[in-house]
Amino acid sequence: MKLVIATVNENLFDGEAVSVTVPGTAGEMTVLTHHEPVITTLKKGTIIVRELNDIEPREFPIESGVLEVRSDGATILL
Amino acid sequence: MAGLKAIKSQIRSYEKTQTVTKAMEAVSAAKMRKAQVQALSGRPYATAAMSILARVSGSQELRSAPLAAVRTVSNALYIVVTSDKGLAGALNSAVLRAVMADIQTSGLSVGDVKIVAIGKKANDFFTARGFVVEAYHPNNDKITSDIVREIVDEAAHRFTLGVVDVVKVGYQNFVSTLEQRPVLHTVFPLSLTELSKVVEAITPTRGVFAGQAHTTQSSAGYTVEPSEEKVLETLIPKLAAIFVYHALLESKASEHSARMVSMKSASDKAGEMEHELTLEFNKARQAAITREVSEIIGGMEAMAQ
Repeated sequence: MKLVIATVNENLFDGEAVSVTVPGTAGEMTVLTHHEPVITTLKKGTIIVRELNDIEPREFPIESGVLEVRSDGATILL
Repeated sequence: MAGLKAIKSQIRSYEKTQTVTKAMEAVSAAKMRKAQVQALSGRPYATAAMSILARVSGSQELRSAPLAAVRTVSNALYIVVTSDKGLAGALNSAVLRAVMADIQTSGLSVGDVKIVAIGKKANDFFTARGFVVEAYHPNNDKITSDIVREIVDEAAHRFTLGVVDVVKVGYQNFVSTLEQRPVLHTVFPLSLTELSKVVEAITPTRGVFAGQAHTTQSSAGYTVEPSEEKVLETLIPKLAAIFVYHALLESKASEHSARMVSMKSASDKAGEMEHELTLEFNKARQAAITREVSEIIGGMEAMAQ
């Protein structure tokens, strides 16, 4: 799926990802392709992004944020 | 005779001024381009935030959210963005004048207004006029989104507590290299219409950076966790941060282009002065030579007799 992690002044991540694990306010959740559309707030924690190939997952520590999952991808605003 | 040396040193000083102003012009031109590119990097965030907001709240206004509550204004917070340095024409004074005019039309007195100054000029101006400058941040190239967040969080906090009834941001809007206009936007109470205006303005409608129109999809089929109110609560300060961050970028672009233009006219003027003085210098030199020649001839004539 297409994933964008953006702060107000730059995009931290913009590309294809297999899965993304986020610290949701209602508990940690992992989003895979074809996840149902959802909008949720995020709490302090770490976002873990797994990209297509078997490279090390990338981690982004966050303070707060909003996750939006659409049919065509996901956006995380920090 | 005495004039020659004086003119020569004057010419030299104009030459030096021109070297400096030309260098400043070139620096400003480069910085302006950078600021424009930077202004556009915030666009994906802004459009994404807007579309999430549209999905959560539908098309209705956000009256129910605490940060969107409209109250009678008896206390106001102004976030004023100017540059740190001068030499940029009427750039800063235009913003400061616009803010002062707005304070007057709102019927507020000095004591009712709090200022958050970004840029040395704003700080100096409001301190000198007896306003309470709550926070001052220098407007240099190192200003980050962290500072913006800090300012917005503080403003949001005060607004929710009811200490201030309106939060406005004043800055110089970048229209084109030759034209900048001072603008004031209301950050809190947050209004969707005002915000969408700002977000749309990030993308120029023409020119190199022009982008395509953004479409929002319907909110049907979305699960919202934990609740719509909670999402709005998190989202609204982020949208407000867009306002302030965008204000900073706009004022940066404006500052550099205004300085570029005023430095260009300073260089041109220095060149003009140099040309005039060179003419004067040549005339004076010619006069001196003529006088010397006539003196020598006069001497020869005297000796021949």
